[in-house]
Amino acid sequence: MAEVKCFIPQTLEEALEIRKEYHSIPLAGGSDLMVAGSRGAGITPAFKGDSVVLIGNLKELKGIKENADGSVEIGACTTSAEIAASPIVHPLLKDAASRMGAIALRNSATIGGNIGNASPKGDMPQPLILLDAEVVLQSKDGERRMLVDEYIIATKKTAIHDDELITKVIIPKHDFTHIFFRKIGMRRANAISKLTLSSAAIIKDGVVVDFRASSGAAGPKVARSRKAEEMLIGKKVEELESVKESFLDAWNDVIAPHAMPEYRRNTTRRMLSYFIDALIAGHGAGRVE
Amino acid sequence: MYTEIRFMLNGEQKVYTGDPLRRLLDVLRDDYGMTGSKEGCGEGECGACSIIKDGKLVTSCIIPVGGVNGCEIWTIEGIRETEKGKCIIDAYAEGGAVQCGFCIPGMVMATYCLLEQNPNPTEEEIRVGISGNICRCTGYDLIVECIALAARKGAALWQK
Repeated sequence: MAEVKCFIPQTLEEALEIRKEYHSIPLAGGSDLMVAGSRGAGITPAFKGDSVVLIGNLKELKGIKENADGSVEIGACTTSAEIAASPIVHPLLKDAASRMGAIALRNSATIGGNIGNASPKGDMPQPLILLDAEVVLQSKDGERRMLVDEYIIATKKTAIHDDELITKVIIPKHDFTHIFFRKIGMRRANAISKLTLSSAAIIKDGVVVDFRASSGAAGPKVARSRKAEEMLIGKKVEELESVKESFLDAWNDVIAPHAMPEYRRNTTRRMLSYFIDALIAGHGAGRVE
Repeated sequence: MYTEIRFMLNGEQKVYTGDPLRRLLDVLRDDYGMTGSKEGCGEGECGACSIIKDGKLVTSCIIPVGGVNGCEIWTIEGIRETEKGKCIIDAYAEGGAVQCGFCIPGMVMATYCLLEQNPNPTEEEIRVGISGNICRCTGYDLIVECIALAARKGAALWQK
């Protein structure tokens, strides 16, 4: 097997030139690609293409900032640990970032890599899709922006072009009154998600102004259904009880788990039901534990 | 023909000219003879290969050596020569934290990063601090106690 070539650009500009000319596989933290290609002690991991471009240390791709409109921009090579520690990142994304792997992994794994890897068990796409986050894709020829929900097409399949890099993620401002996050794994740390769920709502004057949910690890990609969410939006809180079961049935059709489907379906139903029950019970604004 | 990869390893400048996609763990062990970092799982989950990259705990089995270009790397071989490193190692020895010892270099690195950030951790914080380091012998209790001991005995060091 021919040796895989490796580029180490010093600037984003150089990295984009390399992507345009060689379509090299971008490698940021390494926590997915180095493991997927692992061939054991002492052997260089295998990669699918002819070349790899190391982008993890590019300064242009790091950091978190708040824009004038209240949206938050996260550089693609910002690590999970940095996201988990940020005071300006939405708490649902911080929850997901802080539950990834353990400390050392969170110091390597990046948000761009987690999105680009497009694993249905990836932790960050799930809240990002609930939050209507967008990815910015840059190439030598320009920039595209699209929802993370559109960017991730299916397991390991994304809308990226072979001359592009994910440069940042933009999360619009939200004013949810209630949020809910669950990750189910085999252990508290170092656990790949068995199932994840985020949900959020805005309750104003006894009316559900907004309601959203997203399910991770429950199908070929993160599942969200605006159509199902609309069944609850506009309802008075006291009406929720009567529409809850039909909403849960609709959500059951949204997810498509292929392994342990009964477990994943039952547990998803129970988690969502728990959150809706808290809203019905008049849970105060904030996080539903 | 490779790019030169320059990095600081335990305070010494290194210039590496081999394949940048080799795992940092392999380069440390095979090229620089630093066999303190161990390979357990090879998937970034067990913590036996933990090192410090630019002040952060990372697992060297999932990092290509090209990814540390321009970085400052510390391994157990460097940390054990420092006052703080000695404090941790003495506490581990005094309290009997070590059985087979395979996980211990990684545990020491995780302990170092924990105490650097939090000089006076609670038991829960200690357990979180080593949550990425797997030990198959001890059941962790003595390691946790020895980390608390290192925090107590080295209080003057960590508060700095």
